[in-house]
Amino acid sequence: MTRKSPPTSSYAACCWIPLFALRCEEARCPELAAQPCALLAPDDLRKVWQVSPLARQAGVKAGLTISQAIGLCPTLRLCEPDPVHYDQQLAQLLTALGTVSPVIEPAELGRVFVGTDGLERLHGSPEQIVEAIECGMWNAECGMSVQGHPPRHSLERSAFRTPHSAFRVGWGKGKFISWVAATRARPGHAVVVRPGKEKAFLGAQPLAVLPLDPDTHRRLRQLGLKTLADLTALPEAAVVAQFGRAGRRLWRLAAGVLAEPVVGREVPEPIVAALTFFSPVSDLGVLTQALTQLIERALKHPRRIGWRVRQVRVRAALEHGTSWMIDAVLKDPSADPSRILAPLKTRLDLAPPMKAVERLAVEFAAFVPGTTELQLFARDANAAARAGRRRALRNAVQEIKLRLRRSPLYRIIEVQPWSRIPERRYALIDYEP
Amino acid sequence: MRNGTDRLRALNVPQQVDVELDAAWQPSVVRTRLDPHDERRVEAIGEVWRIDDEWWRVPIHRRYVEVIFESGKRVVLFEDLVAKEWWMQQPA
Repeated sequence: MTRKSPPTSSYAACCWIPLFALRCEEARCPELAAQPCALLAPDDLRKVWQVSPLARQAGVKAGLTISQAIGLCPTLRLCEPDPVHYDQQLAQLLTALGTVSPVIEPAELGRVFVGTDGLERLHGSPEQIVEAIECGMWNAECGMSVQGHPPRHSLERSAFRTPHSAFRVGWGKGKFISWVAATRARPGHAVVVRPGKEKAFLGAQPLAVLPLDPDTHRRLRQLGLKTLADLTALPEAAVVAQFGRAGRRLWRLAAGVLAEPVVGREVPEPIVAALTFFSPVSDLGVLTQALTQLIERALKHPRRIGWRVRQVRVRAALEHGTSWMIDAVLKDPSADPSRILAPLKTRLDLAPPMKAVERLAVEFAAFVPGTTELQLFARDANAAARAGRRRALRNAVQEIKLRLRRSPLYRIIEVQPWSRIPERRYALIDYEP
Repeated sequence: MRNGTDRLRALNVPQQVDVELDAAWQPSVVRTRLDPHDERRVEAIGEVWRIDDEWWRVPIHRRYVEVIFESGKRVVLFEDLVAKEWWMQQPA
């Protein structure tokens, strides 16, 4: 593995498949499309995650409990989630898009940005580029030529077996404009925002298209702002004064000034270690032990030497054909088995497989270069350990602050240690390692 | 934005209490203001000392009494001799 900067592209096409997971289930089991159905949340099987339009008409919403959903729609069909299948489908989609452009950035399940810089020489106008992307998505699997424009609706031959009406594509300068364009596209169609038309296009959009937290959205509404044009009519400095650095980003996105490029992925070559149980296992202790062994086995892989693991994924094939998956991105990439295991164990305890496991696989999906800084500054093992502990502490404090929105951690400092009044001697101050 | 001083929180802030005194003017029963039913009987009296300080601004006159409750807990009580109030805090 060698280090190189990922490719970027200033013009982007956003390929969006709303309710991706549900669409995958519908593609696998077509009768679902004709009845109200809902997908259960992968991390909490008591709650509804994605809801089909028919179920939504009956009043079912994401986040409801199963009993509430059934109460609203007695004919509701509930599906258990199959995250491994969705992940495979997304990987297939990315592979298909990779045949059209080398710059692919997956944003979330069902939303992918495709860099289109330079594709005009191959395909022509933005509309033709979008057409090529759509054809690439549909025909990559059967190796058809992009320029050939074969029939789109051959589901059984497509790379991604989902009705064409599920796709929406947006094209424009930067990821934000292409994403907004995709959300404005009718199902199965594309919206192209040509260069120079960004401001007019964005101005008419509601504030909700911005990546806002609920509090900022509420404050902007209270200021009487409804569209991006309303926001950009204010001086940038005034928005920054109210909302800080985030406000500057929002204003610039709304004005079309900030166009974030698509950053292609450095495709890692994953390292996989797998284990098939003689008889299905449901005991968490046994699964944890198996995970430990698989992590150690994967760490010994020659390709891992010199690299620390940043992302680790555990897949399990369960009894009766279902699957289970957990994914962890290590804030502090590591090659230490216990540190790789810790987040996986937490997730295993929080959301264990619902059925016995037949096959377990650990996949190291992303890596970062080895511990250069430690090699430079750590004179001995103790110094390295201290540096590691301090970094872990800093990360833990940051996480606590993010979760609680305040820090309950303090440090005791001396204020007037000589004072005869006891309460004046020491004080607490926010702990910032 | 918070400045450097308002990030500080005093440690060992005294808590106001009601104190019953015995014939020798030493604390015998202590009740906290937050829960008047929380009555703690004093089993032993330790050191007693007095502080007279800051006469140049707001004078501080306190009589400190170190006590041990029946439960075994050790605390420091002080009487604010200006306001005639009793306070309780942790021993140093």
